[in-house]
Amino acid sequence: MSATLKALTMMAIALPTMFAVILIFMAATTGLHKMFPAPPEEESGDDDDD
Amino acid sequence: MEALIQQYPWLDELLMGFIGLSWKHVVMWAVGALLIWLAAAKDYEPALLLPIGFGAILANIPHSSAISQIKGEEGFLFVLYNSGIGNELFPVLIFVAIGAMCDFAPLIRNPKVMLFAAAAQFGIFATAVAATFLGFSFEHAASIGIIGAADGPTTIYVASRFAVELLGPLSVAAYCYMSLVPVIQPPVIRAITSKAERQIKMGYENVEPVSQTTKFLFPIMITLIAGMVAPISVALIGSLMFGNLVKESGVTENLSACAENELANLVTLLLGITIGGTMEAERFLNIQVLLIMALGAVAFVFDTAGGVLFAKLMNLFSKTKINPMIGACGISAFPMSGRVIAKMALKEDPSNFIIQHAIGVNVAGQVASVVAGGLVLALIPALAKM
Repeated sequence: MSATLKALTMMAIALPTMFAVILIFMAATTGLHKMFPAPPEEESGDDDDD
Repeated sequence: MEALIQQYPWLDELLMGFIGLSWKHVVMWAVGALLIWLAAAKDYEPALLLPIGFGAILANIPHSSAISQIKGEEGFLFVLYNSGIGNELFPVLIFVAIGAMCDFAPLIRNPKVMLFAAAAQFGIFATAVAATFLGFSFEHAASIGIIGAADGPTTIYVASRFAVELLGPLSVAAYCYMSLVPVIQPPVIRAITSKAERQIKMGYENVEPVSQTTKFLFPIMITLIAGMVAPISVALIGSLMFGNLVKESGVTENLSACAENELANLVTLLLGITIGGTMEAERFLNIQVLLIMALGAVAFVFDTAGGVLFAKLMNLFSKTKINPMIGACGISAFPMSGRVIAKMALKEDPSNFIIQHAIGVNVAGQVASVVAGGLVLALIPALAKM
């Protein structure tokens, strides 16, 4: 297998896998955020550090 | 001269620096001086480019004791290389420091931003393909592509495994282009977006605050998921998330402060000068290095375009329009990319504040670049065998 074909194969495998992993991250993060909602007074200072 | 040295052998010892000097060494002094100038005069990643530049000068003094590999007389740069880069320790320690600096709250509030970060890793793979067209082996091409992660430690980590001989130029390219984000990204974004798209406003409605418990559990959760998918990435993602856990735990403030400051500074200092020490003239002055520098720019352009075009694609299906410029923040150059895009939005419309969204995507880029790095680490050995 040539180097170009290997690089193309890597792209074909890695990009969809990347999106799949990110979708799992998204689902898990959303679940975590819902499971532990912040009391209204919490998270002070999060918005002013950027 | 030879007759003189034969008659007076001690002259050889005294003049060895001058006798061994070649034009290549002088060119490398100029390269080192250029990096130091970029750091000192232009403020381009000074914490790294300055030590790299000086390390390059140390490595290119003929018979330099700093890089000596003679047994019993090993130079300090050779010792540092073996103890910090050859065994991948320095990049991992840098990740602990980066993790301690990151606030993942914008990402947790809006996890969708992770999709832009995934799309912005496109440059890694497109550049790897382009590099093979230029004659690079698959392992080297994939290591060159990683420049597109815009993530110095990941670049060093991958290169130290699969392209040791290219470590110097790859690191220099990665850090130079990271510092050039304000120069590279805006023209690419303008070329592929309309003014109306760049003026899209993004609101902050329905933004729920993030609890401390969520922020505390987030790094553990991400490590477990990423580790199960690509165990080879555990060192990278694990160290990044460990740093963040130390910060978010709230009970190890001293450790968090140490990771953010002393650890980051010390390892950056040693990492920079050690990389500079690998930039010997024989390794650095060749056409491959010029190609790597060019491919590094290509990687950043592809990354930027990948993120922006993905945001435009999402706009086709989404009721709430996204400013496509935030897609460009999916690279790992944090927080520079987020700030550059937020400034661009303000330039297009002084009442358009998208910094929170841009920083959210930029933080997600930290995670996505490590995931991409892990996938590349896993796939190189598997595909190289074929």
